[in-house]
Amino acid sequence: MKASPAYRVFRVVALTVVVLALIAPLLWMIAASFKTNVDIYDTGKALVFSPTMDNYVKVLQQANYVQFIGNSLWVAFAATVASLVLGVPAAYSMSRFNMKKSALVVLMARVIPGVSLLVPWYYVFSNLKMVGGSGVLILSHMFVSLPLVVYIMMGYFDSMPEELEEAALVDGLTHIGAFRRIMLPLSVPGIATAGILSIIFSWNNFMFALVLSDADTKTLPVAIFDFVGYASIDWGGLMAAATVVTVPIMLIALFVQKYVVSGLTAGATKG
Amino acid sequence: MPEGRDDVRRQSIFGASLAVVVAMGLSACGGDDSGASKTVRVTLANHVWTDNVKQALPEFEKQTGLKVELTQLGEDQLSDQYNVKLNAGSSDIDVMMYRPLQEGKLFAKNKYLADLSEQVKSNKDWDFSDFQANPVEATTHEGKPVGVPIITEQEVLYYRKDLLAKAGLSAPPKTLDELTAAAAKIKAAEPGVAGFIARTGKSAAVTQFSSFLYSFGGDFVDSSGKAAVNSDAAKQAYALYGKLIKDSGPANVSTDMGWPEAMAIFTQGKAAFYTEANSLYKNATDPAKSKVADKVGFAVFPAGPAGSKPYNIPSWALGVNANSENTGNAWKFVEWATSKAQTLAQQKSGVPGARTSVWANPEGTSTFPKDMVEAIEASTKSGVSHDRPLVVKIPEAREIVGQPIVDAITGKDAAAAADTANAAFQKFLDDEAK
Repeated sequence: MKASPAYRVFRVVALTVVVLALIAPLLWMIAASFKTNVDIYDTGKALVFSPTMDNYVKVLQQANYVQFIGNSLWVAFAATVASLVLGVPAAYSMSRFNMKKSALVVLMARVIPGVSLLVPWYYVFSNLKMVGGSGVLILSHMFVSLPLVVYIMMGYFDSMPEELEEAALVDGLTHIGAFRRIMLPLSVPGIATAGILSIIFSWNNFMFALVLSDADTKTLPVAIFDFVGYASIDWGGLMAAATVVTVPIMLIALFVQKYVVSGLTAGATKG
Repeated sequence: MPEGRDDVRRQSIFGASLAVVVAMGLSACGGDDSGASKTVRVTLANHVWTDNVKQALPEFEKQTGLKVELTQLGEDQLSDQYNVKLNAGSSDIDVMMYRPLQEGKLFAKNKYLADLSEQVKSNKDWDFSDFQANPVEATTHEGKPVGVPIITEQEVLYYRKDLLAKAGLSAPPKTLDELTAAAAKIKAAEPGVAGFIARTGKSAAVTQFSSFLYSFGGDFVDSSGKAAVNSDAAKQAYALYGKLIKDSGPANVSTDMGWPEAMAIFTQGKAAFYTEANSLYKNATDPAKSKVADKVGFAVFPAGPAGSKPYNIPSWALGVNANSENTGNAWKFVEWATSKAQTLAQQKSGVPGARTSVWANPEGTSTFPKDMVEAIEASTKSGVSHDRPLVVKIPEAREIVGQPIVDAITGKDAAAAADTANAAFQKFLDDEAK
């Protein structure tokens, strides 16, 4: 059916309004990252201004951001890979063998607010002399991303027909073999979903890194605060840093977006 | 699926994951510091002071043979980190930069800060008596010094020289009455320019409101320890602060402004007078941040019925973590960073310190604007050593005593708001005393 012209106009207008409202802060951030500190506050120069690259020079050359980007990438990917390695088989067994109580325990870890764990964690990890290393960050991020992976993957495995597996067993594979050769390749969209959500969480996490990292291992969200001083705020530098933090994760999200959507709905349709 | 099998699997999964966690813990365990006595771990806030210390660090390391491990954070992140780490009894921090008025009482009460009574007497040349009385009062807990003030701050009047001249005023206002009249005059004469601006957020404004309160003869708490924000003096101070912003402030003023927003209005050339901490002055005089950099003047806080009584406080101090296993080295760092030479170097780069001798030294004031130095000299003589109620739960107290400020700005009855706030503040003090 062909939409009426009035509807098409309405749709364009409505979409424009919604999109503009949603990306306005983002556009403001990017524009501000090219402005000097005087111009940022000047309402007359909101849209028209002479751009400067100084802020990016500051972020990338003086402020050590390349190292912090490296820290963030390493922690995000290590925590995600470790969570997938442990979480996918766990989710598979919880789904296939109907382990409701175990699933509940995992869910509990997901529900407890992270901040309530910070003091005990800090106490335990500082006694283990781990505070300040990236190992402790990876472990702490896994505390959130592992349950995330388990829950997404459980939904995914639940939706996959058991007949596939039975067929594999009949053909002589063991349970583990069936999981590895049949179920795992079929669940790639689900794994991609779980992985990207876990990476986004790690990338944005501020609280754990604030307390558990040190000057060399701090991640981007903590490093951003270097631009906020007691008696001076470098808005330009702050916005350039924020742009640097946002862009990589947006690119990743764009590339894997189709997996994320299909993965989420795959689990959702099961009655 | 039989229940028994489920149980077995569950146990083995738990066992396996536990083993993994333990193994990861152990592998990350090796190495790490052992020569604790040769290092000193210092946690500092993002501040020009810190940047200067960082540059001078090699000198300290060479002198003492110690290695400094420095962590640097924004002020609120720093505070969060202290609360987690010190609460866990951590010895990871030796020297800590902290805000005596915002968290000093909490830290001292929780015994996070080491008693420095012995150390401050240990070196005659370092000379503790050289520090101004007001800041030292603020870093003393129950008669014992628990910190050494490094950065001081007074409230001063920022003003636009050009707008004053245009309005036919030869000198900045000396009293709050003159300020009110001058602000109204400029607002009426200059379209688009406010006569007066100051912080308006109920918590943020409390510190800058305090000098108004003292200059009217009031305080947050009276001498007997009772809430006093509904005294006649306090009611007048709330009413005047609100009136200045309501009548002479920008149109449709937000009641959520901290210093970055208020400063932005001033530096964009949209206000004639601004009462603010002098530590922020570079935001107004730096051409990279201010459109009116060459037109800004400074004056001592205008006098009220009780005279000119601005706060004179240490915004930051250095303390030693009571749980540090390294207090000797920690003190060496504090002693060096607060020495006369370092304080002089800091003041030359625009960071006001707490040492009388450095203020008396012409070199020590050479980089400050001349009118700023005069304002500071006057403020340190008549100043008050706190800029907010002296309690443990500062953020909560600020919300309570700051509410009448917002009410006065929005045109509500300031006296009634002060009565309400006083009742709430008294209850707060009673709860805290328990």
